[in-house]
Amino acid sequence: MNYDIVIIGSGITGASIARELSKYKLRIAVIDKASELPAGASRANSSMIHGGFDDKPGTMKSKFCVKGNRLWHKLKDILDVHLDECGSYVCAFNDEEVKHLEKLLEQGKANGCEGLEIISGDRLREKEPNVSPDIVAALWSPEAGIINNFEAVNAMIESAKINGAELFLETQAAGLLLDDKGNIRGVSTTKGDFTAPIVINAGGVHSGEIASWAGDKSFRIIPTKGEYYLLDRTTQGFIHSFLFACPSKAGKGITVLQTAEGNLMSGPTASEQEDPEDRSTTPEGLAEVLKGARRLVPKFPVNMNITTFAGVRANTESGDFEISALKSPRGFINAAGIKSPGFTSAPAIAEYIAELIKSELADRITLSPNEKFIPERRNIPRFLYMDMAERKALAEKDPSYAQIVCRCETVTEGQVLEAIRRGARTITAVKMMTRAGTGRCQGGFCCPRVAEILSRELGIPLDEITRHGGESKLLAGKTKEPLLNRKGAVSE
Amino acid sequence: MSERIDVLIIGAGPAGVAAGIGARREGAERVVVIERDWDLGGILQQCIHPGFGLRTFKEELTGPEYMHRFIEQAHNEGVEFRTNTMVFQIDRDNNTVWTMNKERGIEALNPSAIVLTMGCRERPLGAIRIPGTRPAGIYTAGTAQRFVNMEGYMPGKRAVILGSGDIGLIMARRMIWEGAEVEGVYEVMSWPGGLRRNIAQCLDDYGIPFHLRTTVTKIHGQDRLEGVTVAEVDDHMTPIKGTERFVECDTLLLAIGLIPENELSRMAGVDIHPVTGGPVVNDLLQTSNPAIFAAGNVVIVYDLVDNVSDEGLIAGASAAKFAAGKISPNVRRIPVKGGENVRLYSPQYVTGETDATIFMRVTHPIEGACRVFAEPNLYSQRLRYARPGEMNEVHIKAEQIRNAPDLSEITIDIQPL
Repeated sequence: MNYDIVIIGSGITGASIARELSKYKLRIAVIDKASELPAGASRANSSMIHGGFDDKPGTMKSKFCVKGNRLWHKLKDILDVHLDECGSYVCAFNDEEVKHLEKLLEQGKANGCEGLEIISGDRLREKEPNVSPDIVAALWSPEAGIINNFEAVNAMIESAKINGAELFLETQAAGLLLDDKGNIRGVSTTKGDFTAPIVINAGGVHSGEIASWAGDKSFRIIPTKGEYYLLDRTTQGFIHSFLFACPSKAGKGITVLQTAEGNLMSGPTASEQEDPEDRSTTPEGLAEVLKGARRLVPKFPVNMNITTFAGVRANTESGDFEISALKSPRGFINAAGIKSPGFTSAPAIAEYIAELIKSELADRITLSPNEKFIPERRNIPRFLYMDMAERKALAEKDPSYAQIVCRCETVTEGQVLEAIRRGARTITAVKMMTRAGTGRCQGGFCCPRVAEILSRELGIPLDEITRHGGESKLLAGKTKEPLLNRKGAVSE
Repeated sequence: MSERIDVLIIGAGPAGVAAGIGARREGAERVVVIERDWDLGGILQQCIHPGFGLRTFKEELTGPEYMHRFIEQAHNEGVEFRTNTMVFQIDRDNNTVWTMNKERGIEALNPSAIVLTMGCRERPLGAIRIPGTRPAGIYTAGTAQRFVNMEGYMPGKRAVILGSGDIGLIMARRMIWEGAEVEGVYEVMSWPGGLRRNIAQCLDDYGIPFHLRTTVTKIHGQDRLEGVTVAEVDDHMTPIKGTERFVECDTLLLAIGLIPENELSRMAGVDIHPVTGGPVVNDLLQTSNPAIFAAGNVVIVYDLVDNVSDEGLIAGASAAKFAAGKISPNVRRIPVKGGENVRLYSPQYVTGETDATIFMRVTHPIEGACRVFAEPNLYSQRLRYARPGEMNEVHIKAEQIRNAPDLSEITIDIQPL
């Protein structure tokens, strides 16, 4: 298969790059080993759109974070993605930490952040009555927000697809293809070769390994696990924004936030590990999160927990992103080591990559504008958030919107069908595209129903449906089968 | 405006069907039961094992058989049913009930009285925060029961069951019947969650090991469940170091409790009791919203369907009376308090308008002679034992309340003799 660009990884970085490059007349392939979007760190993170005050001036992070923040506030409507423009607070518990807030304020100004302000603990408590009485001051960033990361990644990819990019799931990169001059010729994958003069490494926690295929050993990825609690949506309003403690060497520390959909959430830990795929939660990690959550919000209602989860982020030794076009092999671009504030930065990184191709790889490919580029993309209708007139109209037009599949999040059959039309093949894919199964019963009610709809619509047996691809089948054959297959069983 | 309905009932499980009967018998003209499924019966549709209706019919029926008898009665009484229809919103200011159905679309109903009979749901894994991975193969026992009994599919081939609620015990036996292995049932408490008879008939009869004071502490497996770590716990339910053991399994079934399903009740502005998780009700089964009544597992989780049906009949009758203007807004409201060994109970208020049954569960088991009572001097009954897994009852006659005009509070409790 011949392309102009192959992007390895369909996380928020790869997806944003794909959409940005689809503004040009290019044949773009995005490949990912996952069965659904998003996988990797883009699935399990704090879903924060950072204000941009936290990164040292001069770093790539500082450059892309503020710009990315501004882009997201526009993309929110263009891509129809939930972004709660709620702002964030960094909380100080003593004078020393207040000094740190002042430093962050100055740093933020240097980075180009707007509206930063240090407020008293009492003023914070007027806005967020449930925060600790021990907080003495807070740095307010009005530009910060919280995004629905599931929607955002799907939106980026769908927008890229609308404009001609192709997505290949369950397609794992296995190595690079080089021409006789030692330059990039493409990627070999578990589903065959994808040839292209340019390959972009947006492999997240695997981006170090992928870079090493190109002989680039200049950086190393340190997989760093972050564990989280996610609480029932009835906690909505317990807090209204995003609360940080003062950052330490270990990172930004345990935060407490309300997700774009109104769930209270807390995390992450930051524990380094060897295995990039180990996303298990641990007793120690969860205890650490709870301790951190209660420091900021003493009455953090952990009894309302509906799930715990962990993500693995691609930390680097330098602490900064690793973005560059290699001199050799020519045609290889790293968009690697993208961790916090990676989600925020992604649209800005994507613009930078396009510039990088124009300035450094013009001999390999010409970027001529795609006049037919359609910026807009609409989300699957969100029944939960519609007013009654909209709901009635939708149900009249399509009766499948008058059938609830997920009762916790009020997701209709129509939404599930639309998710399948847009490529969902697993229970988790439907969940991330529609929110079916994200509520308090965690799929107890809707999982069998979604499985039935997937089975019916895709024409595959119910016991072939998977939770999240691979060997994650929901069921193990028909009832009584094990008895009939047992030694000595009487056959009919 | 919308059609005239005297009593609208939400959910056609055992409570809802009985409420329909109760409302018609009390004289309500138009009684409509809304059911989201295509068939009537609620969760009893998938409870194909025997053991239902011993009290009501003096015989052992399966869930569908038990329901069938009530559904026939309801049809004979002229109860209307609307299946494949879901109530998705109740407006608290005017009690408008919003329904959806593929043929009828989205409709607003304004009944004179509402009965909430939505039942309960199972506690999910997240509620107990077990560390580890999130593979396929972890189901609540009820979801697994649906796969097996309704769809004819196996959730897996080697199961561990966490929690000893009745559905878990029933599913342990069912998994064996369908050809799976059941490695064991693990219960974090020192006593079983379900009925003794289910321990005997579902575990002991099949040689399934039952481990008290033991829980699952870790989940293993990326795609499909590969096993769990189990460990014994101390008095504070903290896992004891050194007792951990890896158990290979491809299925983990959860029977860790049921929660009354009250999303709609909350929307309707009905006060929810913090311990039962169900609406605060009086003995007429009237909630804090006088036009809204509630019955069955939506109020408090029962052990026996007979109690659910009984309560449905009462709530339906009360709703019919309300719709006819026969319940005074000034009924007495005598609070019931739970004593030392009462974990939860319902109803929380007594009116004296009707004979009252108060259901309760003890906090700690009493394995010996004990007494269940209501003070001051309203009820006393000797018991051979009292266990958290088996509900107890207090009965108070309406005339006892009427004859005590100064009565301001009732205390119920169970104490050893």
